[in-house]
Amino acid sequence: MGQAGAFTTSFLEFPRVSFYSVLPADIISTVEFNHTGELLATGDKGGRVVIFQREQESKNQVHRRGEYNVYSTFQSHEPEFDYLKSLEIEEKINKIRWLPQQNAAYFLLSTNDKTVKLWKVSERDKRPEGYNLKDEEGRLRDPATITTLRVPVLRPMDLMVEATPRRVFANAHTYHINSISVNSDYETYMSADDLRINLWNFEITNQSFNIVDIKPANMEELTEVITAAEFHPHHCNTFVYSSSKGTIRLCDMRASALCDRHTKFFEEPEDPSNRSFFSEIISSISDVKFSHSGRYIMTRDYLTVKVWDLNMENRPIETYQVHDYLRSKLCSLYENDCIFDKFECVWNGSDSVIMTGSYNNFFRMFDRNTKRDVTLEASRENSKPRAILKPRKVCVGGKRRKDEISVDSLDFSKKILHTAWHPSENIIAVAATNNLYIFQDKVN
Amino acid sequence: MEVQKEAQRIMTLSVWKMYHSRMQRGGLRLHRSLQLSLIMRSARELYLSAKVEALDLEAPSPPARCPDPRLHPPREVEVPAACVPPDGEQPLPEPMDTQEEEETLVRCSPRPARVCRKRRSSSLSDGVDAGLVPSKKARLEEQEEAKDSSSEVPDCLPPPPAQAEGAFPNLARVLQRSFSGLLSRGPAASPTAPPARDAKPACRPADPMLSVLVRAVVAF
Repeated sequence: MGQAGAFTTSFLEFPRVSFYSVLPADIISTVEFNHTGELLATGDKGGRVVIFQREQESKNQVHRRGEYNVYSTFQSHEPEFDYLKSLEIEEKINKIRWLPQQNAAYFLLSTNDKTVKLWKVSERDKRPEGYNLKDEEGRLRDPATITTLRVPVLRPMDLMVEATPRRVFANAHTYHINSISVNSDYETYMSADDLRINLWNFEITNQSFNIVDIKPANMEELTEVITAAEFHPHHCNTFVYSSSKGTIRLCDMRASALCDRHTKFFEEPEDPSNRSFFSEIISSISDVKFSHSGRYIMTRDYLTVKVWDLNMENRPIETYQVHDYLRSKLCSLYENDCIFDKFECVWNGSDSVIMTGSYNNFFRMFDRNTKRDVTLEASRENSKPRAILKPRKVCVGGKRRKDEISVDSLDFSKKILHTAWHPSENIIAVAATNNLYIFQDKVN
Repeated sequence: MEVQKEAQRIMTLSVWKMYHSRMQRGGLRLHRSLQLSLIMRSARELYLSAKVEALDLEAPSPPARCPDPRLHPPREVEVPAACVPPDGEQPLPEPMDTQEEEETLVRCSPRPARVCRKRRSSSLSDGVDAGLVPSKKARLEEQEEAKDSSSEVPDCLPPPPAQAEGAFPNLARVLQRSFSGLLSRGPAASPTAPPARDAKPACRPADPMLSVLVRAVVAF
């Protein structure tokens, strides 16, 4: 087994592959590990959240160590109707973010287009029995029939995991929420929509501070929208947000109450040789993520992943081509709406490898140190237990080799938009439409 | 001509997507609408520049001999370009960001008489009395209009009453009207104009595509 987080050839061998399928109708819309990696949450288009928990090590079943099983399922959001605008509000979960664990319960934020909710997920393995005023089924007893008093006792019961909504943060966004991010102070978080970013305190649901507002006075002058936002992992005053024009702004909340003026502005000058009819829309950033170290940010646009050093604003330090063979197909991708797909990107625990999804259920990993990259496929065929994931290759022209796939044979309906990487181990979760794949590095 | 056709196809497609996205659950998405309008604008610029090039190539031919296909594109540009009344003065009500779009469209529908009358002379000059007006003037005018439509010049039309409807209801209606004709012809077909000689001072229904496109672009 390679070093934790390092990308070696052994990472490509996945003898234990777990594969989960949620209900066929529900497309997974977000995937997120918690801070320890013990839990993995998924949100889907139907407003449901499914949480998986990793099996504890056990001497009896060593080979089953580390598999993820369903821990809790709950309906987070329901479809709503905005009567003022005659609009339906989708229940699709756009993002889930975990809070760090501070007691026995787990807390997570889940959001749809308009409302953020704080959920508490807790275990109950004891049940009080022997109440005086009510019987075992909970029915009230006639006080006249009570002749003795007893002290209720806690008796063990089958483990029950319950999820309760602890806070509902509503009515703060005119536009559709695309991101939420928990601050490193663990007291506040932000939610971002197309034009505004709001800062919330976890305890207060009826107020939020607006910290970014890019809405122009005249909407006809609108040229860009906010596409993603994230807090710095260590500095609670710093956050970044990306735009549809391919730019990233870093803001410092100490500078002013309203962070419309950025502290840093990251933009790469456009390569004139790459200019095309669709240049503008493929430069839109779909995801932005700080590295765990807090020194770098990674951005994903339609064709590339870029790594930026916070200290250098004029260009990224690394650019990785995810599927450059699509550059000549942009017109068809516009026709079938694929050009609007919003891919996410993730860092591994040590920030040495980055991963993002593509089409045909392919996902790509790039090793920043060795500059090696690999294309893997999430499919049922290669997800049998002890299967080894074989690297895939797309043939861009000329003679196609035996196990290569040509660009025209790619299935654009099978897209991997959402992936997650365990915070410290080589375990990845890949959402392929309505299936969740969990790949784990082999154990010695 | 190929470029023109392709640009036209993309414009039609974009309008269709804009209409379709409104029908989606969750309503119109700002980011998607912005992207579609960017494409529409690029396609329109491409279309116009290709047309101007085509006209430049045919510049020596006498105006009286102007064939219909060459005429139609200029007229399509003039009429919708004039129909664009971006509202620079209207203060933005909160949170009805969609109102600008509605106002823009509402203004377009009752007001074509005024703006189209303005263009009547040039469309006439292109068509019936082509011999009286030099063709160079017509080209200049349409280039100006193309520039005008792309710049957000505020018009002095009175603001229409606020509409308390859902997002972009007028856009849907306009698109629906426009589309009934467009879809039957298919995305690649150029909208054919009815006989230009009657030259009524009203937006002809047969060239809805560009007018709708321009409105949609302006709204964002």
